[in-house]
Amino acid sequence: MSAVPYTARSAKPNGWWGMVVFVATEVTLFATLVGSYYDLRFKTPRWPPPGVPDPKLALPLILMAALVATSIPVQLAVGFSRRAQARGAQLALLTAMAVQVAYLAVQIHLFADDLSHFRPQGSAYGSIYFTLLGVVHLHVVVGILLEAWFVVRLFGGMTRYRRVGIEATAFYWHTVNVLAVAVTLVVLSPSL
Amino acid sequence: MIWEERPGVLGWLTTVDHKRIGLLYFFTSLFFLGAGGVEALLMRTQLAQPNNKVLSPETYNQMMTMHGVTMIFLFVIPMTTGAFGNYLLPLMLGARDMAFPRLNALSYWLFLGAGLFLYASVFMHTAPDCGWFCYTPLNTSTYDPGLNVDFYTLGLIFTGLSTTAGAINIIVTTFKLRAPGMSFNRMPLMLFALLAVSFSLVFALPPLTTNLVFLELQRKLGFQFFDVANGGDALLWQHLFWLFGHPEVYIIILPAMGIATSIIPTFSRRKMIAFPLVALAELLVAFIGFGVWAHHMFATGLPIGVLVFFAAASMMVVIPSTIQIYAWLFTVNLGKPDFRAPLLFIGGFIALFVIGGLSGIMFAAIPFDQATTDTYFVVAHFHFIIFGAAVFPILGGLYYWFPKVTGRMYHEGWAQASFWVTFVGTIVTFFPMHLVGLDGMTRRVYTYHSGYGWSTSNLIETIGAFVLAVGLLMIFANLAWSRFRGAPSGPDPFYGGTLEWTTSSPPPPYNFAVIPTVSSPYPNWEPTETAVEVGESHETPTSTVRDGLLDEVVHMPSESGWPIVLAAVVSLLFVMLLTSHIYVAAIFACLGLLIVAAWHWHEPEQQA
Repeated sequence: MSAVPYTARSAKPNGWWGMVVFVATEVTLFATLVGSYYDLRFKTPRWPPPGVPDPKLALPLILMAALVATSIPVQLAVGFSRRAQARGAQLALLTAMAVQVAYLAVQIHLFADDLSHFRPQGSAYGSIYFTLLGVVHLHVVVGILLEAWFVVRLFGGMTRYRRVGIEATAFYWHTVNVLAVAVTLVVLSPSL
Repeated sequence: MIWEERPGVLGWLTTVDHKRIGLLYFFTSLFFLGAGGVEALLMRTQLAQPNNKVLSPETYNQMMTMHGVTMIFLFVIPMTTGAFGNYLLPLMLGARDMAFPRLNALSYWLFLGAGLFLYASVFMHTAPDCGWFCYTPLNTSTYDPGLNVDFYTLGLIFTGLSTTAGAINIIVTTFKLRAPGMSFNRMPLMLFALLAVSFSLVFALPPLTTNLVFLELQRKLGFQFFDVANGGDALLWQHLFWLFGHPEVYIIILPAMGIATSIIPTFSRRKMIAFPLVALAELLVAFIGFGVWAHHMFATGLPIGVLVFFAAASMMVVIPSTIQIYAWLFTVNLGKPDFRAPLLFIGGFIALFVIGGLSGIMFAAIPFDQATTDTYFVVAHFHFIIFGAAVFPILGGLYYWFPKVTGRMYHEGWAQASFWVTFVGTIVTFFPMHLVGLDGMTRRVYTYHSGYGWSTSNLIETIGAFVLAVGLLMIFANLAWSRFRGAPSGPDPFYGGTLEWTTSSPPPPYNFAVIPTVSSPYPNWEPTETAVEVGESHETPTSTVRDGLLDEVVHMPSESGWPIVLAAVVSLLFVMLLTSHIYVAAIFACLGLLIVAAWHWHEPEQQA
């Protein structure tokens, strides 16, 4: 038996593919949530219902832009990790995290502020509004935790495993950003 | 020896070997088949005569719901994707393990936790009692105030975690770990079915999860998704449920079609005809499955235009199904068929699939569906499909791969006898249900009046159910006896075409000492001269996704105790959610994150 010649890697690694399929289920989850939003909306004469204020536009749109901008440092971290530059990758991830944590803090404040005006128990509008936003925020938390993990691990230098992990995390973040844009536009749609 | 498994109980608890995990899946889902079977027999005993008092109405509802939930979520899915998929996928691909061995262990332990979680409700006499599709408003706390429905919602979210992890693993393994040379057009047909199932799971489970989260938020926190008085929509539940529920039907039936495409060529002594068409038909069944959900809702008052669209879409499923039926039949017809037990079960499968398929086409006729919906005619139809068509190939597959797993032969005479008993039992149990259904007997009712003329048919059905149970017991008695007394089988007793028959029986922990290369979908019939030598450590080669060219050799993670620990913590988390201890649940969630960190602390390259 003769051995087949061994070549350098040309396909994406297993870990990256795992994240892609996982993200596919997440996108489907958001699609069903957005679908439910419109199902409820089209069966309601007034949306939002009487007594519930229309969503405010300015701050959520600015926050959305800030979150989308973090895709740039996340992608830079991928570039650094391909060149085995652990410090650069750490710095890029920390930059992204700083913006994302600030984003999350303001969003939590907005969430609490909305709760003081209307409640998820009051109407189907409130239920789907808070559920959609809550699910997005949860995904941002997961993304921040993933980045924090790699920032800590990179103190031990770059390995193949960490490089694949950062590439997968970047894919996750790009998708979460797209989903955050979609959800923001959906929940703001009554005011647009 | 290239590598060995840790011996003893600890070895099984920490294993990442796909064959051991496959066997764990097998025995666990077999146990749940037994539980679901006992529930079915209890229901049939209650229905044997009019006005029977074997089960109270409450218990009947619980048995009926648990029978459906068990057979779908705790038997067929884990048996096909977990047991058959796990055990056979790497062997058929020529790989040494799954792409994510520890995730694989986690999905098994989560499945076990979810199963125990759901069955705890039976022992607390608060089992789910709203039917497997649990329509609103009956599922709300107004009409079902106990924990019954909470067990259902949380239990199904829990099994969904396990199943999603398993599906991701199967997809990535299929994409990346095919033996060098196994481009997609050389992949065994059974693996196309498994791939189609996994994609269906990845896209079908999220609507169910969304729905269950909505319901649990409504039950526990008073949200208003389904309450029409507060702007909610009762039909939203049905849309989201069937957006999952119909792909689910094909998730159940597709592995059976895949097993048929493995058994038929072996016992017909020829390759499957129309190979690319059959592969595409398997994928197409899964794809069309996402566009037909509203045919479960023809009686809900949807606009007629919607009904017609979904009726037409439903008729399309006939095309890929029929392509496959003719491909199976012509392969047998053009070959030299040897009707041993596995092929007999496939014959039974085709017969039952055609009967169930023909009654299925009737439901695409909207007025017929509206007349027969919620009657036993529906029960008859879907049991021909999800028992007759989906389970018969599983039973045939048990005989077919038994020598591979154990290294021993089953008893052929008993196996053929068990087929006939099971086949007759199936027809006798389910065929009369068509008749009582057309006579107006409704589903989900714990008893019936003596004067409606349903008594004889019901008694025959009950007798059939016990015959069927005897048939199943004969199968498992045969396998249990043969496990210890069967004649040694050697590596390849049937001269099968695919790669699992090229290694010893049972396969060694590393599956293949050298990785085979492939130039045909039937590499055991058309072997190549080359092979890939891989190092002696815990390594496996990966391939490019489309063409299956050798790409790189990766280290595989070693065995680990973290998956079972994480699954235990997740189980406790669900118990806390069930009992409304939100803060304790949050603590368990944080604990789970710490365990995930510990799990990943040592990277595969650093492990011995």
